[in-house]
Amino acid sequence: MGELILDISELKTNFYTYEGVVKAIDEISFSLEKGDTLGIVGETGCGKSVTVLSLLQLILPPGKIESGRIVYKANGKRINLLEQSEPFMRNVRGNEISMIFQEASSALNPVLNINTQVSESFLLHRQKELCESVLENLSERVDKSKRFSRLFLRCLNYRYKKKLRKAENNLLKHGHYGRLIKKDAKRLTIDLLASLGIPNPSEVIKRYPHELSGGMQQRVVISMALACNPNILIADEPTSNLDVTIQAQILDLIEKLKGEYKTSILFITHDLGVIAEIASKVIVLYAGALVEFAPVRELFKNPLHPYTKALLNSVPKLERRERLESIRGNVPNLVDPPAGCRFHPRCPGVMDICRSSKPEQIINRTHGGQVHSVACFLYRNTKAWYEN
Amino acid sequence: MNFLNYIIRRLLLLIVVLIGVTVVIFILMALFSPAQRASAFITDIKQFGDIDSIIRTYGLDKPVYIQYFNWLKQIFQGNFGWSTTVSRPVIDAFKFFFPNTLELALFSAPIIILVGIWIGSLSAVHRDKPVDHFTRVLAIVGWSLPTFWFGLILLMIFYGYFQGLFPPEALGYKAHTFVNSAEFVRYTRINSIDALLNGELWIFVDAIRHLVLPVITLTVVQIALVMRIMRSSMLEAMGKGYVLTARAKGAAWKTVIKKHARRNALIPVVTVSGWLFALMMAGVVITETIFNRKGLGWWWARAATQLDIPSVLMAVLFNGILFVVTNLIVDILYAYIDPRVRLG
Ligand SMILES: Nc1ncnc2c1ncn2[C@@H]1O[C@H](COP(=O)(O)OP(=O)(O)O)[C@@H](O)[C@H]1O
Ligand code: SF4
Ligand SMILES: [Mg+2]
Repeated sequence: MGELILDISELKTNFYTYEGVVKAIDEISFSLEKGDTLGIVGETGCGKSVTVLSLLQLILPPGKIESGRIVYKANGKRINLLEQSEPFMRNVRGNEISMIFQEASSALNPVLNINTQVSESFLLHRQKELCESVLENLSERVDKSKRFSRLFLRCLNYRYKKKLRKAENNLLKHGHYGRLIKKDAKRLTIDLLASLGIPNPSEVIKRYPHELSGGMQQRVVISMALACNPNILIADEPTSNLDVTIQAQILDLIEKLKGEYKTSILFITHDLGVIAEIASKVIVLYAGALVEFAPVRELFKNPLHPYTKALLNSVPKLERRERLESIRGNVPNLVDPPAGCRFHPRCPGVMDICRSSKPEQIINRTHGGQVHSVACFLYRNTKAWYEN
Repeated sequence: MNFLNYIIRRLLLLIVVLIGVTVVIFILMALFSPAQRASAFITDIKQFGDIDSIIRTYGLDKPVYIQYFNWLKQIFQGNFGWSTTVSRPVIDAFKFFFPNTLELALFSAPIIILVGIWIGSLSAVHRDKPVDHFTRVLAIVGWSLPTFWFGLILLMIFYGYFQGLFPPEALGYKAHTFVNSAEFVRYTRINSIDALLNGELWIFVDAIRHLVLPVITLTVVQIALVMRIMRSSMLEAMGKGYVLTARAKGAAWKTVIKKHARRNALIPVVTVSGWLFALMMAGVVITETIFNRKGLGWWWARAATQLDIPSVLMAVLFNGILFVVTNLIVDILYAYIDPRVRLG
């Protein structure tokens, strides 16, 4: 087992709405290995987005993270993100852990051009580097210039030296960056877009989101997330509204990045086909509860939880021409979720105990020694359940 | 250059619309008898004795299209006829009344926009906190007050109990006399600005004191309106995907509001601001009448009740042009804020 970069335990988030308390996620525990890709699957509304938003503490009132631990390991230090201050978290967001969102068209601000939006990532997290490069550039120009413009450059130099003091701690505020720093960030933005295979980046950055195609918009959104080479990339259904060819291109892009930068990835989708392609391990969520965790091959070959089985059965397969099975019943209302196992009203193998108590995660190992766990009473007495 | 193109296209459209406005006004004029219409061509009180010759001179018995061009020619020469309400040529009356109204508008418009937008976003950012509840109650009260009623209440309070603090009309007696004396140069004919240009601070203070109540009356309804629109559009913007994206990038909440949410939230405010302006002109008539402030609204209110046709026609033309021009400005502003508009 590799080194854990993220270890989440018993994370619980509620929304206090007028209809009542929405128990969106209920004591979810999982972990992400360094350089690995973990898939998160589940139907719409099962709490996938809330889970990852909670990780970065992006949940706004009426939502509240009730309890749990999010241990993030970087530079040899282990820190519980839930205990950190807001300024600390701001430094983590988009810098060490960044996110790609579902709909690129709504994730981009319609009234700002691409440059303003992408370079914002650099301006927020690379202030020191930008400032230093500006100063270096200035001192070069001072050496070459004539007396009069030299005076002007000296003044500029003085201004940016003052900025550097703040920039060292990333304390430059919006509106105080200065023209030269913005110009330098623009240069980085062009390089970044070029490295993501966007043709003609110096033209593209002048455009507004509505002037780009859907695939291009998603690339821009990805570029914002990758600007600062994050340790962890969270992708929340990044391909669900794109057509198949563009979807494949985006997946290729993410694969390539993973190979290049050893980024650890949390990949959310409701598309099991995509999961099979990109993830190495998978967690399955149902109605805010984690029901199964397994390596991806294992999950497809040997699903244990009745919900996972039903989910896999609802996926069309080329070699199987039988009718698609849909899961009977409805996704429960999370204001008043079913007691015990949240899946019990829809479960074909429901037992008495399922209605009263909550199933624990039962951990077992596959033949290869990998962890496969499931939260279901069907497996409470069996040790070698994966062998049947 | 998309933006420049857009502005040029809009300016061309402006000319077409202005021609439309004059045609409409002319059709309105056609409702009156030739003798009544003749009054629109009178420039001197002595001409009243000889209506027939005016009808002949200006061809008021000629075909309609010829009359239309004659009328246009007169207008371009600045001849708008004789105002019976104030007993002087309409154009002179306009020159006299306009600065007072302009002064009122110059003080009111920025207050409406800045205060409305500021309180509206404050209320949205502090949603469901005391600030929000307080401002929302104020907005509802402000919005449901009829302008004339509110003005009368202010009148009662400040002319009844705090006499002399915020007096009626546009200037006090002493200031008025001084302003019209040879010592005082009328650069703009706007009292407060001229006072500053002449270095007479006491006149400036006097002008401001006379402005307080009219400005409050004129702005309160509109501040409430702008605020409500701003609050709801700000709340909407704050729930949008791009706000979440910005937060996920690590931007501070304040930056997110300023850089990402506010500009989007301004779009609906800009959209209604043309309509808001129309509302303001109606407010000017009421406000100036209540506070006996001699501006365009005061004049028009009288002209309308005394069947002073040339003055009313001038009012219609003026408002038509003003409305078209403000809509142009609104559209340009709209295109500036929202790049998606520039395409169309
Ligand atoms: N802002 C909110 N207010 C109230 N309930 C919310 C809010 N955001 C999410 N929820 C609830 O949390 C649950 C999980 O939502 P989400 O994580 O968005 O699902 P998905 O798995 O489709 O990403 C849903 O039942 C939803 O109703
Ligand atoms: S715990 Fe019970 S109800 Fe839940 S999935 Fe297992 S068998 Fe079904
Ligand atoms: Mg989601």
